[in-house]
Amino acid sequence: MPPDPRAMPDEPPPFLGTWRRVYTAVIVYLALLIALCYAFTRAFS
Amino acid sequence: MRPLDWAVLVGSLASIIAYGLYRGRGSNTVDRYLLAGKSMPWYAMALSIMATQASAITFISTTGQSYVDGMRFVQFYFGMPLAMVALSATAVPIFHRAKVYTAYQYLENRFDAKTRALASLIFLMQRGLSVGLTFYAPAIVLSVIFGWPDRLTTLIIGVTVVLYTVTGGIRTVTWTDVQQMMIILFGLVVALVMIVLLLPRQITFLDAVHLAGSAGKLNAVTFHFDWNDRYNLWSGLIGGMFLALSYFGCDQSQVQRYLTGKSIAQSKLSLLFTAMAKIPMQFFILFIGAMVFVFYIFEPAPMVFQRIEYNRIQQPELRARYEPIAARYQDAYDRRKAGALAIVEARHSGDTRAESEAIANYRRAQRDVDTARREGARLVEATGGEKGFRDTNYIFLSFVTKYLPSGIVGLVIAVILAATMSSSSGEINSLATVSVVDIYKRHFRKQGSDRHYLTASRVATAFWGAYAVAFAGLGKHLGSLIEAVNIVGSLFYGSLLGVFVLAFFFKRVTGTGAFVGMIAGEAAIFAAFLFTGISFLWYNVIGCVVVIATGMAVSYVLRPASATPGTAR
Repeated sequence: MPPDPRAMPDEPPPFLGTWRRVYTAVIVYLALLIALCYAFTRAFS
Repeated sequence: MRPLDWAVLVGSLASIIAYGLYRGRGSNTVDRYLLAGKSMPWYAMALSIMATQASAITFISTTGQSYVDGMRFVQFYFGMPLAMVALSATAVPIFHRAKVYTAYQYLENRFDAKTRALASLIFLMQRGLSVGLTFYAPAIVLSVIFGWPDRLTTLIIGVTVVLYTVTGGIRTVTWTDVQQMMIILFGLVVALVMIVLLLPRQITFLDAVHLAGSAGKLNAVTFHFDWNDRYNLWSGLIGGMFLALSYFGCDQSQVQRYLTGKSIAQSKLSLLFTAMAKIPMQFFILFIGAMVFVFYIFEPAPMVFQRIEYNRIQQPELRARYEPIAARYQDAYDRRKAGALAIVEARHSGDTRAESEAIANYRRAQRDVDTARREGARLVEATGGEKGFRDTNYIFLSFVTKYLPSGIVGLVIAVILAATMSSSSGEINSLATVSVVDIYKRHFRKQGSDRHYLTASRVATAFWGAYAVAFAGLGKHLGSLIEAVNIVGSLFYGSLLGVFVLAFFFKRVTGTGAFVGMIAGEAAIFAAFLFTGISFLWYNVIGCVVVIATGMAVSYVLRPASATPGTAR
């Protein structure tokens, strides 16, 4: 069975306070990259 | 290759070996040899993950892919950040807390020995096939361009990699990956700067970007959905996410990287950093390919970049078939060059109407160039060349060796060999780990000493190195190598991903359910591969869904009458 999640506590991230915020930042970054790639495609096609 | 190129190449490779041997000191227990004593910082793991993923194929084939098909291949990586977030939240803490050496070891904790053994065997088959391709890519291309014997090139790279990997284990692999990644990034920047400097004087960088875009080479995002289309936004986000989940969550060559982390947080950071850096890096490599395309608008480009086949179809006995195609190619090539110059002139003078007309002529000529190149490839194929012949893998290195100055050629070749070494060392190390931990120790010798398993790990590393060299020739029949590697991975990854999803999230699924699910998943993937035209990126989705559905159904049907939630085995 999956190990007890309390057995090895997770550390907080070194920035943004919580992992949830770090994950959100990565997804926002992805959305930004896709938007930039789309703008790049449009600008030079 | 000139003396300065050789000096740069030999110097780079010698420094990699020396640094690897230096960093590998003290790898004298199984824990240190296979997991670096869980001492790695996040940045070293992140660069190692990126270096393992960026093989020689990435530079040889991705640039060529962009030259031929444009930059839309970058969409293949759009799903990766989503996958990395999911893995950081689930797999990383679970694997760390389970204190496992391999991902498949966890499957026995969760299910049973047969599920672990099947997953291990699927990994060994898949990665065993891929590691041969990793060696083959640079060897065959260097053999065509420089005339170096491909078997000898493979052997030299193989012996070098095995030497430092056997000696220092994962610690050496990780730190040499960091060094190799630095060489790779430096080489890429130098290559792009050189291409831009080599463009004709009247062509500015912005002109070059416009010319690439007008020919459809800067198509970084395409929204059009088609099941059979390999690269669009949807297949990248969904299929790419499933492939990345499988690769980074279930492939020991990647899992082992982040298992070496000092803590769960360090391992998570390594994955998230990789997620953020990978798309810009692939974009940059593809952009180099697009700029090579622009360079060849103004410099004579061979109709077929594979020199040996190109020379062959020009022989007198094939001249009657070759010459009409060559004439059409030359005509289209000249019209494309004239169109490109007209576009630049119109742009500089601000004449938008003339620019529109020039773009239309330029695109028409580009279509004719593409048609003539396809006819040339068909002629190669029809007259004894390999089936499905493509010259994608030869475009970038043909440019490098012909046009780049002394010293830079050596640097680019060093980048390609460094990338081969970084990928293959990680693959060989992980193959050895699974062979020893999941197969040998689990099924053949359960009570050996630490020293015994350390020796077994070194022997297994040497074995997989020899295996990779021996099977390196398999890639000869696989067309574009970057696609071949991803297709081979997709044939196996979906079912591996499915069984880990069952392990993490479906508490009632039993070992037998997971085992049968994996077999059904593999059957579904091979059926899709053999009997449909569905793009390979979807195989991961299909395999994963079939494993989950079958695993749940079998577990439900075979459930014991007294089973209670969370206790099924």
